[in-house]
Amino acid sequence: MLSTMNTRAPLRWLGKQLFNREDPGAFFDPLLAALNPMWVRGYVPARLQDVVDEARDTRSFHLRPSPRWQGFEAGQHVNIIVEANGVRHHRTFTIASSPRQWERDGSITLTIKRLPGGRITNWMHDNLRGGEIVGVSEAFGEFDLPEAEIPLLYIAGGSGITPVLSHLATLANRDFRAPVTLLYYVRSQADVIGAETLYALAARWPALTLKIFKTEEDGDGALLNDRHLDAVPGIRARQVYLCGPKGLMDLAGNLLSQFGIRESQIQSTFFSAPSAVAADTPLGGEVTFGKSSKSVESGGDAPLLEIAEAAELKPAYGCRMGICHQCSCRKTSGTVVNRLTGKPSGPGEETIQLCISVPQGPVTVDL
Amino acid sequence: MKPQLNEQQLNELAKDLDAIRDEVMADVGERDAKYIRRIIRLHRTLEIGGRVMMPFGFIPPVFAAAVASLGIAKIIENMEIGHNVMHGQYDWMNDPSLHSQTYEWDTVCTGDSWRRTHNYEHHTYTNVIGKDRDYGYAVLRLSDDVKWNPLHLFQFANYLMLSVFFQWGVGLHELESERIRRREIKLSDKKAFLKDFFRKGGRQAFKDYVFFPLLTFPVFPVVLAGNVSANLIRNLWSSTVIFCGHFTEDAETFSEASIENESRGQWYLRQLTGSSNFTGSKWVHILSGHLSHQIEHHVFPDMPAHRYREIAPRVEAICHKYGLKYNTGSFGRQYWTVLKRIGQFSLPDRVRARLPAQVA
Ligand code: FES
Repeated sequence: MLSTMNTRAPLRWLGKQLFNREDPGAFFDPLLAALNPMWVRGYVPARLQDVVDEARDTRSFHLRPSPRWQGFEAGQHVNIIVEANGVRHHRTFTIASSPRQWERDGSITLTIKRLPGGRITNWMHDNLRGGEIVGVSEAFGEFDLPEAEIPLLYIAGGSGITPVLSHLATLANRDFRAPVTLLYYVRSQADVIGAETLYALAARWPALTLKIFKTEEDGDGALLNDRHLDAVPGIRARQVYLCGPKGLMDLAGNLLSQFGIRESQIQSTFFSAPSAVAADTPLGGEVTFGKSSKSVESGGDAPLLEIAEAAELKPAYGCRMGICHQCSCRKTSGTVVNRLTGKPSGPGEETIQLCISVPQGPVTVDL
Repeated sequence: MKPQLNEQQLNELAKDLDAIRDEVMADVGERDAKYIRRIIRLHRTLEIGGRVMMPFGFIPPVFAAAVASLGIAKIIENMEIGHNVMHGQYDWMNDPSLHSQTYEWDTVCTGDSWRRTHNYEHHTYTNVIGKDRDYGYAVLRLSDDVKWNPLHLFQFANYLMLSVFFQWGVGLHELESERIRRREIKLSDKKAFLKDFFRKGGRQAFKDYVFFPLLTFPVFPVVLAGNVSANLIRNLWSSTVIFCGHFTEDAETFSEASIENESRGQWYLRQLTGSSNFTGSKWVHILSGHLSHQIEHHVFPDMPAHRYREIAPRVEAICHKYGLKYNTGSFGRQYWTVLKRIGQFSLPDRVRARLPAQVA
């Protein structure tokens, strides 16, 4: 009955009347969570099967989402919900495993690197062990597999390899015949993520050409340059996938256009857990209002409430002094400083009070 | 007597209170999350237990247990969960089901209406005559600021009615019926509010007085009587707690002009002088949603309420340091002063002046 409560209209209506909430099924969550956390309705729970070391500072988390999770396409991301010190955090990660693995045994793999100063990635490494439950969102993102059998070129850097791993495993399963080249840039051998998978794929799937460049071990020539692209046969006809840190993506974009490759041939994506801004970042910054798709520059210590009003939005407010929480609203990314305490927030999605939150660097709010 | 503090003292007062606030807020985390989740589990257990036992209420002891279970569930949900969550005490947890702006509680008053009239108006303009309508709920005469008229003679009966139907009274608070009577506003101004009121009030009545009785049709009179009793218990208790928090003794009142450009120190002072606490066991505090610590609540409305118990001695020390009264006493004593006050202000001023023991 609990599961239908969210799907069947009359029951759902009744549930709303009885429990005063939009998600009536979740009314029982506090009890269900105590009995079996995989039964909760408020989010899709996933059980951590195991956690294995993958590369330096990088671990793979094998998760088995509850059966009502709807699956994913290769190259997509999910938000992971974890609770650290009583606070719920959302972070986006790319699924490194193939949809085939999920169909086979219901599991997905997230390969996550510790970010220097990243609160949540470090927390996950230090605290999450097999058996634990986290939440997962439905999958999203459009780093889609090619529809036809056309030659492909992947350029990946560091932990940007994760969607590529999912792509390659899927293509190999499909027995994709067109040539596929992967140029993968890492610091050293110890940083190669998914090494085993990659070498195994290269061994059994003849279409794949695998080139790993270790920038710290192999010297300057190992940084992405035109010779690397020159060595890719028939590069102009390839569809290109880019995934990696911004510097690498920019450089790749420039080089590719020199090779006469059109924008429409290139797809790129990169999600890394957002990291906190440096403590000495000046106040102010670009504020994006997600719902109304407006964005404005702000300066100095103007709080978000005033910034929003100056942009002709009408957020709810009351006291304007941090007491009443009428102005509470979702911040989806960026860091804000609390005017009353002087403390910076985390970088992820959370609730903030507009009237006392001053942006520190770029911020996106749900207004 | 108006507490007189000079500017420097006010600044120091603000600094002292901010220090407590900063210290507690920096420490808020796992322990507070565990606490509120435990309370929520208790609420769910009591509510489900009460609803399940109710149809067997034709056995008298089961009836008593079911009513107590459901009544206490409603009290906990309204006081310790709903009221506190809506104040934003748990916003930091980032859990959408505990979010101040979307939480909807198990009572007639809509969450939105409460957030406007209580969290914003009452907590921002505490005891500012004309702006804080919680002051006597615009129904009772509790200070000299309201001119006496003969109808006030019956205000004790009014008070009883208000207590019995408290959830409906609170639900209708935003209607500002006294201003409609005075023709300052029109009934049609309140259309949107009334629509929400009927929707939520209907929902509450449907649940307790139609749905659950019908679900257990052969014993519906028992279930209906039980649900009415549970609501009554909650109404009496919550109105009593709230009256004990604000109307024990003459609270200092303020004019609108006096709070213009108010400093943080002045704001704190206003909060301190308008509230009163009562003492009791841990469970008295929990069942009152920690409004037994009304003073602490008014100074730090968005601090997780179970912390009030811990900081109370420090707030009291600060009050003494600045020569402010820290109004506290046993539940019985505080309630007695409330009753006396309601009684005395029902009398014309001339008569009241001759009463032997003045309230204030
Ligand atoms: S407007 Fe009251 S807390 Fe922001």
